[in-house]
Amino acid sequence: MSQIKNAENGQEKLLIDVGSTYFKLSTNNSIEQHFRDFNKSIIDDLTHKCGQSIERFDKKDIHICSSANGGLSTLIIGVTHSFSLKYATNIAFNSGINIIDTVLFQNIETYSVPSDLIDVVIITGGINSNADNFSDDLFRYLEKLNYSNIVYVGSESDAPIIKDNINDVVVLPNIIDDRLHIVEDDLKEYLTNLYQQDIEGKEDIKDLYDITDNQIFSTPYVVNKALPFIGSKYSVVNPFVLLDIGGATTDIHYSKDLVDENIVTENEYDRLVFKKLGVYKSKQSLIFVAKNNEFVYELLMHLKVTENIFEEQSEKATKILMQLAIFLVLCKISHYKKAYVNLKLLSVNSFVLTGGITKVLTVEEIEDIISFFYKKIMNSDHNPATVLDSNYDIWTLGAKGKAACQ
Amino acid sequence: MKVVTGVVGNDIHVVANRLIDLSLQARGFEVFNLGVNTYLEEFFDAVIETGAEVLLISSLNGEAEGWGREVQLLKAKYKKLDDVIMMIGGNLVVGTGNADDIIPRYKGYGFDIVCHQVDLNTGLDSLEVMIKERQLAVGKN
Ligand code: B12
Repeated sequence: MSQIKNAENGQEKLLIDVGSTYFKLSTNNSIEQHFRDFNKSIIDDLTHKCGQSIERFDKKDIHICSSANGGLSTLIIGVTHSFSLKYATNIAFNSGINIIDTVLFQNIETYSVPSDLIDVVIITGGINSNADNFSDDLFRYLEKLNYSNIVYVGSESDAPIIKDNINDVVVLPNIIDDRLHIVEDDLKEYLTNLYQQDIEGKEDIKDLYDITDNQIFSTPYVVNKALPFIGSKYSVVNPFVLLDIGGATTDIHYSKDLVDENIVTENEYDRLVFKKLGVYKSKQSLIFVAKNNEFVYELLMHLKVTENIFEEQSEKATKILMQLAIFLVLCKISHYKKAYVNLKLLSVNSFVLTGGITKVLTVEEIEDIISFFYKKIMNSDHNPATVLDSNYDIWTLGAKGKAACQ
Repeated sequence: MKVVTGVVGNDIHVVANRLIDLSLQARGFEVFNLGVNTYLEEFFDAVIETGAEVLLISSLNGEAEGWGREVQLLKAKYKKLDDVIMMIGGNLVVGTGNADDIIPRYKGYGFDIVCHQVDLNTGLDSLEVMIKERQLAVGKN
């Protein structure tokens, strides 16, 4: 908290968020939002629409975060859920990696090989004195996999065989120490650097370094860092789930109490990203997921529309899509559709919504969907409170905190 | 030799756990102590990550039975646990109970050594006996 206060007292900062659909700019006393013009580069569009605000600030006082670059994807191969996979997943989350898949090595032959290019494969398993954690099955799987980077952070004893069999593998110190505790630093630094290189590699984002001297962070990372302080802006009752439904992806952040895990890290809140679940850029894939959900027709009926709404381009259609997105995300984190986590949704006390959705839906429209979900999927009358972050206070809080740290 | 130990389930009785850690070390074992409040999956996972030869589970508060029944089912999901010596001790039922019933039952759950209300040193002696027997059996010595 003190970091955020310091920022407020110090030099005024300009905070910019570049999303796949909108820009947001925030200063001490104003927030502006603009639809992006996809015919222009990000920097041209930004300077065209907000040039005056930007000019008022020194490069060192401008802080930018972005979710427009889509973020990085990782596939983690580990030997157990409780240690190697859990530790690596946690480190990846905390390094700003967006999309995380895991493979339990002993069953590797039962996993399908993802067709998308994976930005970084992480292999881990075993304490240093434990050898032979992997076999040729690993190398056979990797041959079929399409990836850009690969890093090994498992047992030292297996490092030679890994190096001999995997081209260009980066070997870093084990993330599990001899007491089975997590060691975060080396992998975190490696992944954070990859993330940074990814941003710099994307011409559009790279140009933004013309207006800032500060590191560009991923938006979900910034939002996550704000959550411990959310109480200073809203009366949110823990445990809570925050949904950030955007144009291309949907991010959820949730209190650790909602999962049965007892890993010791600094973070109180975990996060999860659903790629291709958004209401503008990912609209088609959202509709595809919706059509495959057996409850969606009932939901459309409940909302008094038919599936023809998917073909429409209207304000009403956008509202319905947003409502569907909420429902589908809740399904994904419930026992009904097992994703990376199943949250204890009956223990949730508040849902916080942020992002473009807050400009389109009212609290009542959101509550309607949440209670439909609880009735249909959870068979329950549970009724958590709904909080709308309609002025992007959470992002501002996170961005200010980050700005103060730099 | 590596041993994974801890107290299973929601059990917070920690004193025996500390003593077990110390006694095992004194006997030359390399100990991975998961402490109190440890779930079965974490025990098995710790054995995989460390390559431990022995899994020694304690239970004091009366939860053992419920976890015991889960052992076979969960263990069947792992491919590398077959040669691990599985041992359990402490208060294995609610109340006193009769060792003649308890021991065969827990062996049926998949434990090789069962020590219901047995003194720690006696229990660890039988562990060492079993280790010797197994080493002889595979001709290692
Ligand atoms: C201290 C104590 C507590 C403290 C624990 C503090 C702490 N963090 O450790 C507190 C007050 C918190 C507590 C709470 C409870 N306790 Co209590 N507790 C005891 C008490 C009095 C002493 C335990 C102790 O530390 N003994 C000293 C150690 C060294 O001995 P030990 O634990 O028996 O272990 C020895 C052997 O069993 C053996 N051993 C242990 N594990 C293994 C494993 C192997 C492989 C081998 C070979 C040997 C072995 O080695 C040790 C040394 O010889 C016992 C009664 C008693 N006199 O034993 C009850 C007792 C264990 N508790 C009991 C109960 C029921 C509870 C509660 C459920 C009470 C309640 N209703 O809330 C809660 C449960 C909390 C929880 N979630 O686990 C019962 C268990 C009954 C049962 N199994 O049928 C006991 C036996 C009391 C009784 N007679 O009813 N308890």
